[in-house]
Amino acid sequence: MEDFTSTMLNLGVYAPIIGAIFLAAFYPVSNGGTAKGIGILSSAVSLAAVVFLWIGFGWWQKDALLGFEFAQRFELMGVSLPLFALNGISLPMYSLAGIVGFAATLWAVRSEIEGVKLYMILLLVMQGGLMGAFASTNVLWMYAFHEFALIPTFVAMLLWGGAGRKNAAIEMAIYLTLGALVSLLGIVALYLLCGNTFEIVEMRVAAAMGAIPQGWQKAVFGLLLFGLGTLVSLFPFYSWAPRAYSAAPTSFAMLHAGVLKKFGLYVLIQVALPLLPSGAKDWAFVLACLALFNVIYIGLVTMAQKDLKLMVSYSSVSHMGMCFLGVAALEVLGAGSALMLMFGHGLSVALLFMLSNAVVNRTGQWEMAKMGGLYKKTPILAAFFLAGAFASAGLPCFANFWGELGIFVALWKFSPYVCALAALGIIISAIYALRAFASVFMGSSSKEIESIEESEGSISDLSIAERLPAAVLLAALVFVGFFPMALTDFMNADLNSFAVLIQPK
Amino acid sequence: MNLELYSILLLPLFASAVVALFFRTSGRVGSIFSAGASAVALALLLKFVLSDSFGIYKDSLILYSLGGFSLNMGILFDSLTANMLFVVCFVGFLIIVYSAGYMKGDEGVGRFFAGISFFMFSMTGIVMSSNLFMMFVFWELVGFSSYALIAHYASTEAARSASKKAFIVNRVGDFGFLLGIVWCQAKFGTTDFSVLAEIFKASPGDAVTGMGLLVMCGFLGKSAQLPLHVWLPDAMAGPTPVSALIHAATMVAAGIYMMVRLSVVGFLTPEVLDTVLILSALMAFLGGVWALAQSDIKKILAYSTLAHLGLMGVGIGAGSELAMFHLTTHAFFKATLFLVAGAVIIACHHEQDIFKMGGLAKKMPVTFVVSAVAVCAIMAIPFFSGYYSKEAVLAAVFAKASDGVLVHSAAFWITLFAAFLTPIYTLRFFLLVFFGAPRSESASKAREVSFLMTVPMAILAVYSLCAGWSYVYDFQWMNGKFNFLIPTAASEFVGKGIASRHAEAFLNSGLETFEIVAVAMTFAAVVVAILIYRSGKDRIKESLPLAYGEIARCGRFDEIYNYYVAKVQQRFADLLATFVDLFLIEILSVRGIGAFCAVLGCGVKKLHSSRCGAQVAWLGAGLAFVFFLVFAA
Repeated sequence: MEDFTSTMLNLGVYAPIIGAIFLAAFYPVSNGGTAKGIGILSSAVSLAAVVFLWIGFGWWQKDALLGFEFAQRFELMGVSLPLFALNGISLPMYSLAGIVGFAATLWAVRSEIEGVKLYMILLLVMQGGLMGAFASTNVLWMYAFHEFALIPTFVAMLLWGGAGRKNAAIEMAIYLTLGALVSLLGIVALYLLCGNTFEIVEMRVAAAMGAIPQGWQKAVFGLLLFGLGTLVSLFPFYSWAPRAYSAAPTSFAMLHAGVLKKFGLYVLIQVALPLLPSGAKDWAFVLACLALFNVIYIGLVTMAQKDLKLMVSYSSVSHMGMCFLGVAALEVLGAGSALMLMFGHGLSVALLFMLSNAVVNRTGQWEMAKMGGLYKKTPILAAFFLAGAFASAGLPCFANFWGELGIFVALWKFSPYVCALAALGIIISAIYALRAFASVFMGSSSKEIESIEESEGSISDLSIAERLPAAVLLAALVFVGFFPMALTDFMNADLNSFAVLIQPK
Repeated sequence: MNLELYSILLLPLFASAVVALFFRTSGRVGSIFSAGASAVALALLLKFVLSDSFGIYKDSLILYSLGGFSLNMGILFDSLTANMLFVVCFVGFLIIVYSAGYMKGDEGVGRFFAGISFFMFSMTGIVMSSNLFMMFVFWELVGFSSYALIAHYASTEAARSASKKAFIVNRVGDFGFLLGIVWCQAKFGTTDFSVLAEIFKASPGDAVTGMGLLVMCGFLGKSAQLPLHVWLPDAMAGPTPVSALIHAATMVAAGIYMMVRLSVVGFLTPEVLDTVLILSALMAFLGGVWALAQSDIKKILAYSTLAHLGLMGVGIGAGSELAMFHLTTHAFFKATLFLVAGAVIIACHHEQDIFKMGGLAKKMPVTFVVSAVAVCAIMAIPFFSGYYSKEAVLAAVFAKASDGVLVHSAAFWITLFAAFLTPIYTLRFFLLVFFGAPRSESASKAREVSFLMTVPMAILAVYSLCAGWSYVYDFQWMNGKFNFLIPTAASEFVGKGIASRHAEAFLNSGLETFEIVAVAMTFAAVVVAILIYRSGKDRIKESLPLAYGEIARCGRFDEIYNYYVAKVQQRFADLLATFVDLFLIEILSVRGIGAFCAVLGCGVKKLHSSRCGAQVAWLGAGLAFVFFLVFAA
């Protein structure tokens, strides 16, 4: 059984990559239809692996899945492949990548793109890279897979992006490369300090024996924090994110904002916190202050946005602040809730990007003030959007709520004042989410929309093919919203194992 | 785990999901599912509270656990729960039946019933909560269902702004509520009501005023008390049954219920109770004043709801069971009045201006009689339900004021004025709508509404008349054979409180005199109201237009808040977005560094020359540098 589980795990990573290789190999002879078919097939295999590992197998026999224990090394022509295994921290992210990847592929399939074959290849490469980054048990492989997933975004942005794509792509490239470089320095330092190993398990053993002296801890954690923080758009290194997301093609924006961006936070929780507990303590206050800027300052900037897609982009930057606050709380509850919020936010922001794209396609408008009354014409779209908006505003019944709630509880112990300031986020996020919904969907139709209807016929609701990816994302959000233990059960064991390290002495 | 209780909670959720997913366009199926679920829930509730073994029931179900924190979806079922849940399920069921008539032909009818069932689910959750976190979860969910139902007529401008406003104003209150809960969790390690009760019983000094004040913010938001009351009048943009159920009888009373629950536990310090007392007394008074200048039939009732929620708040400050008592009777008579308003609106083809109605008594006899009963109840005419609860609250605050503390006596006098206003604004509405000659075409063509609407109204009218009896006199109809009308378990909480207060009252001779004065005052107010409004005109409006105009602006709260939102908050956000985000960070820092590098690159490029002399010069400089390093260091 363990062999089989391990195979499924590897399949989740390699299915999209194999799909991409296959498409590339038969590039001249295949057509768009085949590309779409292979795209769906391979991301569906990934999703099946996720469902199997998470809900099927993990549910009943979760012990077997935890703590990187069941990993089995595979070889390809004598070369050993990277070792894949999951623990309670990586499982949510691995699942997130599978779910959002599937939804993004489905969305790509129904949208009319020129050069759909290349689009599919890039999308599959990105998904494979993401699955691999979260399944790796080796920090270098994590890093490598992350870069692997990052590159398609630049290419796709330049080829299919919207307005201002060149500047946005360059800005993003510089920021993310710099961030990755700084964090690579930190990772190399960890490698040297922990006795020349990149394996997380071995690193943890070394760290537990006190391999990393106090002074180094602060320096290395700082490198990781700012390097990875840039990848997650921590204030003040955020300005690449909103512009890049609103310029990127929808499926890539979904995967990048929903999943890839969380990689930095994931490494902080999976690697930095357990290895560098005292370094984390030294930086916690600085981190909390910067994260508060994300929550409040970016939250206010979000309120001032007039463009629907930019609004969603900024809101995602703002929510990352909440996740950072969870990390800053230095507690099992804080870190676990940050993971929960990363999971929920990944789904809800992907949903909102997708639906904003649907709105923009239908109205030919970016500006929210020029829309209105869409509800009557597209009730299903409106219902999905409302669900996404409320999920991102942290309503119970959605996964995001549990994340935010836990972060507040953990933060109070960190500092009641930080907690109170962070809680302002629940008001701010409600304001921009509801404002957006009200101005796009409620009220009477604007002149612009009426003129579109006159020239191009009536605006249609989401088709079945468009509803499917939205339903996949929403179902996952609601499932975890009602059964949060489906994730926290896994987290508890793994987070507790290093909780001892972070406890204040 | 008690399946019956969890079914009461989950059945409406199930109905809501089924209707939302499969029957969005079929009003009939939607109403059947919705009404069926609430009927079964009501039956299960009655079965549970009427069983002989009824006592305090506790249950725990861990829904979420992470680190050292866990959230318990438990159930605490005691006589307070029974009281509130009976009101919610009973009034809820009747109003859902009424809605089946009211919403006929509406295009969003499936959405409506899904929403109202979802509301029943979340409201039941609040009432059954065994701890503050669970209450917060459902607290947010009722906020959502309220939002969704106010937004029902989504294409109107009123619904667009009112729904948003309701949710956001509530979120402002929830901000404090959440912090209070989190603080409680951090300090006591639990938010479970029974555990907290034990803690405060052992050492009452442990209660923290700051914590209580934060939690009170939740009450101010949900129960629409000063200064967060502004959302409730606007919420009337929703369909009338929604106004009746959510924005009068049950949801807005959730804040009161929460405070009563916490006050029983011992969570609220005297300072918190005094704050509640004075804020609520002010609301009771201002709500009554503002109601005098409204012309929309639903807005009058909305301001009256504000005033009565204020009266309940006074009850919390003066003795929590009385708040619960007034909550119960108010739920019956205010729901009746809103249903009457709904019937009148339907009969007058969606006319809501009372100055365009008139003479409906003859055209709508059933509605008229029902309305008369509810009007008597809200005016506190003796033997009607409202009389008992209102007198009880007034007497309690009178007794409280006798200690000479300024806040208490101020609260007493303000509440007394507020009580005097009730008959005036109520009769204004009643006389203008039902008497005189019809003042518009739609009013002259009005007809009685269907029995789906009149029957629930009539049943609620019976309760508006009789509900007080079973609480005060420990009255059991026909030796308890009809006890299911108001189960003993549901009246126990209030009944015990009243009984002990009666015992105290014997020692306070001033109270008896006061009660007589209060009744006399009610009748005086009735006479005044008839004198002012008997001719079908508003004499205050005609003789004192300036004062009337000022009252109609409702203390300018909306103007101030709108100014803040549009001119302060939004401008600040715009400033951040343009100056800080765009100029400082994007243009100056990011592009600036980019431009700096570009300029630097241009400069450095110049150094790369292919001229022979330059090459030699560089070579020489390099050699000199290496030489320096080797020998000087």
